[in-house]
Amino acid sequence: MSIVQIAPFVAATVKVFKDMLETDIVKGQPEPEGDSFISRGFSVMVGLTGGWEGWFLLDMSQETACIFARAMTGEDYDTVENEEVLYAGAEIANIISGNAITTINNLQPGLNIRLAPPSVFAGQGMSMFNARLSSSSVLMESAAGPVKINVAAKEGK
Amino acid sequence: MKGLKADGTPIRVMAVDDSPVTRKMVRKALEPEGFEIVAEAGNGKEAVEIYASTLPDVITMDVTMPIMDGLEAAGNIKKVNPAQKIIMLSAMGDSDIKADAQSRGITDFCTKPFKPQEMVDKVREVFNR
Repeated sequence: MSIVQIAPFVAATVKVFKDMLETDIVKGQPEPEGDSFISRGFSVMVGLTGGWEGWFLLDMSQETACIFARAMTGEDYDTVENEEVLYAGAEIANIISGNAITTINNLQPGLNIRLAPPSVFAGQGMSMFNARLSSSSVLMESAAGPVKINVAAKEGK
Repeated sequence: MKGLKADGTPIRVMAVDDSPVTRKMVRKALEPEGFEIVAEAGNGKEAVEIYASTLPDVITMDVTMPIMDGLEAAGNIKKVNPAQKIIMLSAMGDSDIKADAQSRGITDFCTKPFKPQEMVDKVREVFNR
């Protein structure tokens, strides 16, 4: 059974962008994504394990990823081929999902959701597909460009 | 300068995190205040291996890392030196993880994201204990 509880991830995204990247973000409304997801060019996937099985996806353009990496390290980047941009994107997604599952775990003691290490995907025209799990997305606007979050989860074993 | 001891020498810190970007953020927060980053490690096993040769005053330790996680590494380091001061640095701060960290003798906990001043104040506070 799919569980769609995207609100804690939305709240964590707004907080992390404001506190860590000093970027205000305007959030849209949750919308069902179905079984596939088209990337803007830079995607970080964090697996959800334990009490939930699924993923958290943070997606943006490669230019936006470079701007956020600069906000973290203070250095200029012009390509996602720079390893620090990949690590910065991974850490942003890791922190957002970590903050979100902390909220969920504290509200539901014993649920014990845990995170798998982030995976970063960079490339144009990427489509992600999972026939067994539908997901929800929220599109957000930041000064550095649009950012989309996507969450899919079902009860863990 | 919050990173200096009473004798004027720097407080020595080891930064352990699998993200080099986060290690860089820790370094950028602490070094301007006089702290010295004496070692960095990308996973818990590496941290345990280099610990004896660096003997930092304070360790900042990520939880989720490949090869050996931060909780296990902290436990191993505490077996070597029960007085070692360790700050757990994690995006996850639920009560189960905090309880696990406390049971392993973790000195304090810092939730990511952190602001540079928060990191400075936390490391200083833990050093003073």
